[in-house]
Amino acid sequence: MGGLKRKSSSKTLGKAKQRKGPHLPSSILKAINEKRPLNSDEEDDELDSDDENGGDVYEYEDGVPEEESRRNNRYDRVDNYEYELPEDFKVFFQHTRMLQDVSGLPAEVFKGEGKSERRKLYTEAYPESEFNPTRDVLEGKDSVTFEELLAPLEGKPGYNELRKSFSRMRKNTQSVVHAPLPKPERERLDRKSVRGQVDKEFDKWVPLVKRNREAPTVYFDKDVNLGYSTVGAIASEFKPRTKFEMNMASVLGGNEVLEAHRNDGVSMEDHIKDHNRIAKTRSLLFRHEIKSKRMKKIKSKTYHRLKNKDLRLAGESLMDPELAKEEAMKQEIRRVEERMTLKHKNTSKWAKRMRSRGLDMRYDETRAALSEQLQKHADLSRKVNSMNDGSSSDESDDEEELNDASDQDTPAKLLAKAKEKTLKIVEDDEVPNSGLLSLPFMARAMKKKQEEANEEAKRLVEEYEEWENPDGAENPKNSVNVIGRRSFGETAIVEAPKESKKEANNFYDNSDSDNDMDGIEDNDVVAVRDNASPARNTGTITETEIDDVAGNSAPKTTFDVALFASGSWKKMTGCKNAESKKASKTHVPISQAQDKKESRDEESEDSESEAEQMVDGILTSASKETFEIPSQAELINRAFAGDDVVDEFEKEKQKVLNEEVPEPEKPVQVPGWGQWTNIQNKRGLPSWMVREHEDAKKKREQALKTRKDARLKHVIISEKVHKKAEKLHTTTLPFPFTSKEAFENSMRMPIGPEFNPSTVVGDLNRPEVVKKTGVIIKPVKFEEVNPNDKADDEHPRSHQKQRPKKSKKVGRGQSKVKSK
Amino acid sequence: MVKIKVISRSVDEYTRERSQDLQRVFHNFDPSLRPMEKAVEYQRALTSAKLEKIFARPFVGAMDGHRDGISCMAKNPNYLKGIFSASMDGDIRLWDIATRRTVCQFPGHRGSVRGLTVSTDGNVLVSCGTDSTVRLWNVPRPSLEDSDTSSEKSIEPSAVYVGKNAFWAVDHQFERDLFATTGAQLDIWNHNRSQPVQSYQWGTDTVISVRFNPGEPDILAASAGDRSITIYDLRMSIPARKIIMMTKTNSIAWNPMEPMNLTAANEDGNCYSFDGRKMDEAKCVHKDHVSAVMDIDFSPTGREFVTGSYDRSVRIFPYNGGHSREIYHTKRMQRVFCVKYSCDATYVLSGSDDTNIRLWKAKASEQLGVILPREQRKHEYNEAVKNRYKHLPEIKRIVRHRHLPKPIHKATLESRAMNDAKRKKDAKRKAHSAPGSVVTVPLRKRRIIKEVE
Repeated sequence: MGGLKRKSSSKTLGKAKQRKGPHLPSSILKAINEKRPLNSDEEDDELDSDDENGGDVYEYEDGVPEEESRRNNRYDRVDNYEYELPEDFKVFFQHTRMLQDVSGLPAEVFKGEGKSERRKLYTEAYPESEFNPTRDVLEGKDSVTFEELLAPLEGKPGYNELRKSFSRMRKNTQSVVHAPLPKPERERLDRKSVRGQVDKEFDKWVPLVKRNREAPTVYFDKDVNLGYSTVGAIASEFKPRTKFEMNMASVLGGNEVLEAHRNDGVSMEDHIKDHNRIAKTRSLLFRHEIKSKRMKKIKSKTYHRLKNKDLRLAGESLMDPELAKEEAMKQEIRRVEERMTLKHKNTSKWAKRMRSRGLDMRYDETRAALSEQLQKHADLSRKVNSMNDGSSSDESDDEEELNDASDQDTPAKLLAKAKEKTLKIVEDDEVPNSGLLSLPFMARAMKKKQEEANEEAKRLVEEYEEWENPDGAENPKNSVNVIGRRSFGETAIVEAPKESKKEANNFYDNSDSDNDMDGIEDNDVVAVRDNASPARNTGTITETEIDDVAGNSAPKTTFDVALFASGSWKKMTGCKNAESKKASKTHVPISQAQDKKESRDEESEDSESEAEQMVDGILTSASKETFEIPSQAELINRAFAGDDVVDEFEKEKQKVLNEEVPEPEKPVQVPGWGQWTNIQNKRGLPSWMVREHEDAKKKREQALKTRKDARLKHVIISEKVHKKAEKLHTTTLPFPFTSKEAFENSMRMPIGPEFNPSTVVGDLNRPEVVKKTGVIIKPVKFEEVNPNDKADDEHPRSHQKQRPKKSKKVGRGQSKVKSK
Repeated sequence: MVKIKVISRSVDEYTRERSQDLQRVFHNFDPSLRPMEKAVEYQRALTSAKLEKIFARPFVGAMDGHRDGISCMAKNPNYLKGIFSASMDGDIRLWDIATRRTVCQFPGHRGSVRGLTVSTDGNVLVSCGTDSTVRLWNVPRPSLEDSDTSSEKSIEPSAVYVGKNAFWAVDHQFERDLFATTGAQLDIWNHNRSQPVQSYQWGTDTVISVRFNPGEPDILAASAGDRSITIYDLRMSIPARKIIMMTKTNSIAWNPMEPMNLTAANEDGNCYSFDGRKMDEAKCVHKDHVSAVMDIDFSPTGREFVTGSYDRSVRIFPYNGGHSREIYHTKRMQRVFCVKYSCDATYVLSGSDDTNIRLWKAKASEQLGVILPREQRKHEYNEAVKNRYKHLPEIKRIVRHRHLPKPIHKATLESRAMNDAKRKKDAKRKAHSAPGSVVTVPLRKRRIIKEVE
């Protein structure tokens, strides 16, 4: 093909084709040729192409055979193979020139007549007539035209009309009836249209067929007609035919009989209702019986005693006031007991153990349990407290006096001060913008806490205002005392500001909070720290704790400590009143610590993890001076100083290699063999043995070289073939899968009933075609399928829930998988 | 309070309704508890593959009674137990498959019967043969007595239409009342007319076989002696499409679930699946027979078809697979001339030269009879597991293994050797010629000469 093309192209080139030796490939030449006119300068052409394409695009072509090129004179020379003009050539020319001269017409006229068109002479076998036209007429030459036919009529009447109508007909091409196509051609065209129809018919099936093919399962067991399923169905179809049957039907279906049935007394609904009621009663009775049987079976006496008692009590206590009183008394006794024994003060063995091991900190549930105990204790004992309020009022009075003495403050003043403080705190909430506290999560936490505190403070302010108004202003304390045993609002109310204050203070300024606290705190005050504060109890704080322990002896403190001292809760000294000296003592170390800290860095105001920060501070300062971060390599070296990993690996690799490509055994002779004489001994091993050994060695080396890990220093690639594993692999990727991953995924999840819940096992194991023996499967029936509706097939195994729906028949619908 | 978690199991879950019920077992489906699941399932797949081999007993029974080779069969589309068969001596019989006895005979033909078909309602049997007659018979209604009596009834034809030439095949339209006969040309008949209502001819050769499309009742395909396959549409007066192959097509079957697809049983031992819209290349070539494929019939599920071959074997192919999944043969079975798939896709029938009709199971190891749900589930699981691991060498080998009769085995080896040699030669030729000058024609196109416009 290529060769042919080349030839043809070279022919078009005219002169260029005769060139021999290296020249441009024909395609390029062709391109050039198209752009340029043929007669453009040859030299120029070549030059250009040289410049453009360089040498490598040339191709070599042998132009003319050697004998023709006359390169070597091996062949006979044909000196003149030019055509010689015939003798009469000159004569012919002379003749035409003469004719030209005579007639004055150009030479071509005579040429055509004379040379190119040599007329043939045909002889017809029959005379020429209208039935036997001449060959000329048949071939279309010299045919008669309209004009020729019309010519004789010229001048006759009606000539013009005729001419016009002819010309009109000639112009009007549309109404021309063409000759019919040959039959095969016609049929071909017809078949083409039929094909189109049939294809269209087939095309409409495509979506349905596609859906069926892609469906994970095709169901053919739906169209089951089992005939009559019940006797009633058969009976309903019955029609009386014989006379007897007719008579029977007329009697049974007669109006009287039906009427009688209708007036039977009990209607069907009533009957059903009755039936249901009886059934329900029966089942209830049955259950009751079962239950009592079970209860009766229980042999435990305690159980029965308790049960009876419960029954009795339940019956009596509701009505009998005596019993109710007794119950109340019991409750009271329980309270007293609690007060005496402090049973719920986390002093039990279990609670102690929990606390000593710090389990309460670790487990929320334990902590909750402990605090619940405390709560219980608080509940019980607090009630006692307030019950005894009247008796112990002198005590509290004393305390109040003490308080007053120390602070020189009336309650009203105190309140005013508290309010002022609170407002101040609410107002100035500044967030540190550097250090640990500026971290986003810290800031968030702080903001949250602050909001809480603010809210609390606001509420307090309101309360203060309430108290300050003239109605309740005289003596909040008194009013509180008057409230009596049932309401314990007093403690709660007074406690709350302390707490909030404390929190707020802890957050913002610990250093001066202590002094302020002194002012506000009254006898009930217990300074309570939040959960984060235990960090503080390192170092200097220990002293406080000791003080606290000492302070516990005071009845007031114990009460409140018991309220809050669950594990992580730490209390500060709250007992200014009793041991002011001790309190002052405790304050000193705290302030000292804080001062120190503040001097180090300002951000450490945060109550959280002060100790940690201190540790951090020490660490960082120390590292700045002496510690230099070692390089990564150094670190690694230091870390793995002891073990020589590389050496170990090499040994291991050698071991693996020896296992997979074992070293040949050294040739040894059977003991005693060849050792008879010295000569034999000197000769050593036989040469074939040595050769064999060397061959084996070489082979081994070869094998080692061809291993995949031969050049990989740090890698071991095992080339051991596991026969057991081999049978779980295929050598090639099986057909429907396109990737190894897809194939492996297809086998990844197990499908058995042991590995899957029974709800999905059926779906996982469903075969592609579900059919039923004995059910005739009918051919597919056409239905419209939306080709874009692929939702059904997305989850091949998820159609279990849709199965009931499948009973819905859609046409004959054999092939339908699911119909949503 | 410390919360205590207690195992609580409701009595209802563990109580059986009946004493025969199985105890419920609760599994923990945590995959980490069962690290060997793949190995376990592989082993099960292996076992089920082996079991399948053990239980593979496909032959159900033979129906003996004809005195000459069976030439054609027809299944009653409305009645599972009925099968009609006709032999070369003009004998037509109706068989009861359950008892494997002749129910009645239809005597009348004076030469071999070449075509047999039943209307969709199962009432009219149409037969045609080399005596140039088309006979219509009324099929006796199946009743309970039929199976009891051993006496064979004989039935007179309800109509006899005489044609000019011998008839070669007949097929009935699905759910309508036209049928088509073939011979010198393709004729369309109505039940009630003694003359064909329509005739088609394209070319001068004898039309060998015809089959109506079950999904599209107006479309039919016929194969002719000029090695052609032609598709007709009854609504048109001219044929639609024709291809010419290298060898003649003995029989055609339309896929009942995919109306555009048909499969042709070819004389060269292959079956070719075509898309009716694009006949210039086969969609799939089904190879395995070593001699001419005489008849083909699709399973009503459209997923498989059965072929009977001149090499004395019956094979079952998947509709889109190149090789058969099953081969049935017995020592006594001769050339198979006709095969049918039963209407419930459970059985396969083959009629052969040895005057017997044989009944086979479509799935060789299928358990017949009533299967309990648990059993059914077990079978399904076995099948699913086997299907999952079918690509692994061990299982593949077991599943694929079939014992072949010696002549077939030898012929297979021979044809394989020939094919290999040819392929090698072609490859060499291709390698040593200019690139592009030797084109390998795919097998799907190789045997098709042209599509006639």
